[in-house]
Order: sequence, then C-alpha cells, then structure tokens
Amino acid sequence: MPLILIGVNHRTAPVAVRERMSVADAQLAATLDELKVIAPIDGVALLSTCNRVEVILSAEREDVIEAFVDWLSARGASSRSELEKHLYILRYADVARHLFRVASGLDSMVVGEPQIGGQVRTSFLAAQRSGAIDPLLHRLFEETMRVARKVRSETGIGEHAVSVPYAAVELARKIFGDLHGLQALLLGAGKMSELTAEHLAGFGLKQIFVANRAHERAEEMAARFRGMAIRFEEIDPHLATCDIVIASTAAPHYVVEAQQVERALTARRMRNLFLIDLSVPRNLDPAIAQVDGAYLYNIDDLQQVADSNRELRLQKAEQAEEIVAREVDHFRRRLLMQYPPSWSCRSGWSRSAPRSWRNVSADSVR
Amino acid sequence: MSPNFTLYAALLFYTAGTLIALASLFTRERRTQHAALVLMIGGFLCHTTWIGTICARTHHPPLTNLPEAAAFVAWCIFVVELALFIRYRVQAASFFVYPLVLMLLTVAAVVHEPFAQMDPALRSSLFTAHVLLSAVGVAALLTGLAFTALSYAQDRALKSKHRGPLWEWIPSLSVCRTLSYRTLAVGFSIYTLGILAGILWSYRTTAGPIDMRVKQLGGITAWILFAVLLQSYISGAYRARRTALISVGAFVAIVVAMLGIHHV
Repeated sequence: MPLILIGVNHRTAPVAVRERMSVADAQLAATLDELKVIAPIDGVALLSTCNRVEVILSAEREDVIEAFVDWLSARGASSRSELEKHLYILRYADVARHLFRVASGLDSMVVGEPQIGGQVRTSFLAAQRSGAIDPLLHRLFEETMRVARKVRSETGIGEHAVSVPYAAVELARKIFGDLHGLQALLLGAGKMSELTAEHLAGFGLKQIFVANRAHERAEEMAARFRGMAIRFEEIDPHLATCDIVIASTAAPHYVVEAQQVERALTARRMRNLFLIDLSVPRNLDPAIAQVDGAYLYNIDDLQQVADSNRELRLQKAEQAEEIVAREVDHFRRRLLMQYPPSWSCRSGWSRSAPRSWRNVSADSVR
Repeated sequence: MSPNFTLYAALLFYTAGTLIALASLFTRERRTQHAALVLMIGGFLCHTTWIGTICARTHHPPLTNLPEAAAFVAWCIFVVELALFIRYRVQAASFFVYPLVLMLLTVAAVVHEPFAQMDPALRSSLFTAHVLLSAVGVAALLTGLAFTALSYAQDRALKSKHRGPLWEWIPSLSVCRTLSYRTLAVGFSIYTLGILAGILWSYRTTAGPIDMRVKQLGGITAWILFAVLLQSYISGAYRARRTALISVGAFVAIVVAMLGIHHV
C-alpha cells in the first residue's frame, strides 16, 4: 500500500506561497474532513506549520496524487504549473525518512528546534480525532514520534541555545541549575536586556529589580515583569541578594566595579553571581571576571556561545541522521512483511504515477 | 576454579567500562556512556562476588591487607557513585570515579596476597567498626573529591568561556557544589567515627591512643585537609584554586594512608 507525502516547505517555497496554503489549527478538523473525500484514500493527515504544509496519505493507488495537487493548487490560489515549481512528492520509505527528520528538527530552519515535535503530534491527534487515520498512518506517526524522542534524548540536539538571550539562559542554568526562586537585577532598560530578562523570567525567576537613571522608565519595565523599580544608588545591597545581573545602560563608564562585586560575594557566602553585560561601551568592569564566584559575560561572549552552539547542533545533526537512517530501515523492513511488493524497494514509485513526479526523492527536498 | 576468577573478570569489565566512558568524551554520545555504565555494573557484580568469596572463606570483613582494603574501598566508591547517579543522573562523575575504581582494583590484583586469616586477638566489634567506617568514609570522601573536581572543571570552563570536552556532561555548578559538599560532609562524619573507633581499639589493644606510622599519619593529615575543605564550604570562603589544591592534598594523603595498610 503506497504511503505518499505531498507538500511545500521553507526550502522549496517562499513564505508568500506557504502562507496561502497554511491551515490554522482551528480549521484543521474541517480541512481534514474535506481531504478525506476528494479522492479514494485510506488515511490522511495534514501538517501545517510556518515552515511547511504537507499532506500525508495512504492509498491503494498513486493516481490520487493528482487530486491532492489540484487541491493544494486551489488552496494556494496559484496555477498548477506555478505550484509544481515548489512542490515535492515523496513515497514509501522516503515519507518515513522525511517525517522522522521533520519531527526530530533536522529539517527545520533552526536545526534541532523543539517545537516541531509538538506540531507533528498535534497534527496526528487532529487526524485521529477526525477519523482520518488508517492503521498504516497510525503506525507511521507513532514511529515518527518515537524516533524524534530517541534522536533528542540520544544526541541532545535541541539542548543548546542558538540566540543571544537563550545563550544567557543556558549559561544561567549551567551556573545555578534550576532558576526557580532566583532574583535578577536589570541595570538600564535597553531592548536587549528586556528580551534577556523576559527569557529568564520564563524559567521561574522569583523577582526582577530594575534600576534606571530615568526612574519612570524603570517603573514601566518593572511593571512588565511584575518586578520592582529601584534607584540607581540602591544597587549595592541588591548585588548581594540578586543572583543574575543584566547591564544595558547608555552610560559611557562602568556602573559596577570589581570591588562592589567582591563585597557582594562576601555577603553572599557560597552563592555565585552571574553578570551579563549587553552594553557598548561596557558597563561592568572586566576585572569582575577575575573575582572568584563571579561569572561575567559580555555581548560578544554570548554571541560566541550562540555561534558555537549552532556548530554543535550541526555536529549532532550528523549523529541524528544516522539514527534516522537506521530507523527508516527498520520501519521499511517491518512494513515489507505486511506489504511485500510495494515496500520491496527503498523509495519507489508505481508505474501509474505521472512521469513528472518520478524524479522527486527525499534528498531533493533537503 | 580460582577464587580470584571473579576479581579478574571484574577488572576486565571495569577496564572496558572505563575506556568506553573516556571515549564518550570524544564521541559525545549518550549511548557510549550507557554502554560504559552497563559494563561497570557487570564488573560491580563480579567485584561483589569476589568480596563475598573473601568473607565466606575468612569469616571477617575484607579489610585485613592492602588488596582487600583497596578492593573494598573501590566497591564502596562504586556503590556511592551508583546511588548518586540514580538520584541525580550526573554522568560526568564517571570520568573520575570509574578510573579510580579501576585503579584501586588493579592495586588489589597486582599486590597479590592470599586471603589472610585475622589474628584472633583482633576479632573485636570495635576493630570491625573501625575498618568498615573508615572504608565507607574514605569511599564517600573520594566520591566527594570527584564532584569537587567536576565543580572546579565547570568553574574553569565558565570563567575561561571555553568549553572543554566535559562541558556537556557536567551538571550545573550549583549541583556539583551541593553534591560535593553533601558527600564530603557525610563521608567526613563517617570517617571521623572510623578514626575514633580506631583510636579506641588501639588504646584497648596497645594501651596507647595511636601508633604513628605512615597509615596513621596519612589518615590524620587527610582528616585535617578534609576538615579545612568542609570549613571553606560552610563559611562561604570557597575559592576555586585553593579548594583544588586542598583537594589534591587530601587525595594524596588518603592514598598514602591506604598504601600504608599491611597485614593487620
């Protein structure tokens, strides 16, 4: 029994095409009901995210492809010849390989991003609720989610931050472990420090203090995080109680000196202090880096962490590809026992398929 | 079959496990770490059987000479490491603990001595308490030192902003320090009780509190250095480089004390 995947993604189609074809979560059930009846198929699922729109089918015959290409073309409000430039069609083991890669984050714009795993699961559950899933698709999705979990747990591909704010969060977690119950001090109310504080707050910070020369701006920003605005002159006692300091002021000089940090650390006993300097010129004295128990990172350091994480993810992606290749082989062999003739080749097409589709393989989608 | 067959089997498993664990530093694959753990557990089972054999044959704890003591301390270290791994999932400790266990068991195999019968005069509960508490305390202290080393490695990596091969495996600095502190605190308490039991036993048998030889000097020096280390944790006067130096001193003192163990 053929397994078919028809779709467009961020590599094959520009956003102008993808946005027209995309299906909102709220419309998913109605769209699946529509898809079930446009051709004689056994099962259908739809994966629609900001990076891709893909229809996954199981059907007795491959000529159903035509009906679905027409449907996508109508949905994208484009001519069929226009759509064909962006479309890919995969069959049999290539469908499994593609879905395994997608759910593992290997086909994402940011390699290893974790959201896609949840999106694949959501599309499976939606299809299941709509009664659009047959045993073959059920098996395919179950395997896809298992492989994605395996890839993530064995390679840790999604564990490393690739943006500056997340790099700060990652480092904070490397120092403190759990961020719940910690306190942060924001010096200045710059955009970058706000973004970084927002990411940190998402990990359960207990309290955020904001100090700014213009006190009204500090109050405004503190209100956003349900924090507390303090006067700039009050930062010394807060250095002793806060665990993370984010500096981003417009001051042309250091606003925190090494001696202040030393005093704060004496009062803090064993507890470390993480200082993030996002300002240019720098606001935190570089000599702070020499103080035991203080960890100082400036904007370049954080960018470097994000860059090296990106490289690390690419290395992990190679390990992940090996796992996917092994799992596709297992999946194909298991299905071979159930559907011997059609699954006997790794990535086949039937003679009934239109000639123009035959040259499309999983590799050409990457 | 030789009673030492299980000792050599344990050595074989531990060697393979340690090498594979160290290889995972370069492969950065969790599968490799899991394979190493499985091999180490295999070694641990053989190790346990060997210790059981000694107990069954000699009817006393396996602590009457250097090979027995080294093997028992290695066994205790692995038990502590396993318990901490189950509780905290800290894989990085294996890079220090596995080689340590392998090294101690190698000492047991190389310094080959027949299973020794204990002098009947020494068969006292005080002596048994001394050797058991000292061995368990030393095992906990050495595991604590492994976490101190991890903590130091993490501190250096964060300070230098260059990730070493251990970066991914080491948990947060806070977890490393907490585990290091707790293991050292528990180990120190047990070790202190062991030393006190030893002094009492020595007092009863030789009518003197302590007999100052290499073993005793090493043991007391280690006790003082561990006390300083714990004090720096408790007072908050923790300094990375100083802590590392004290830890190295304490480790050397413990090794000297262990090498000083001869027939009891």
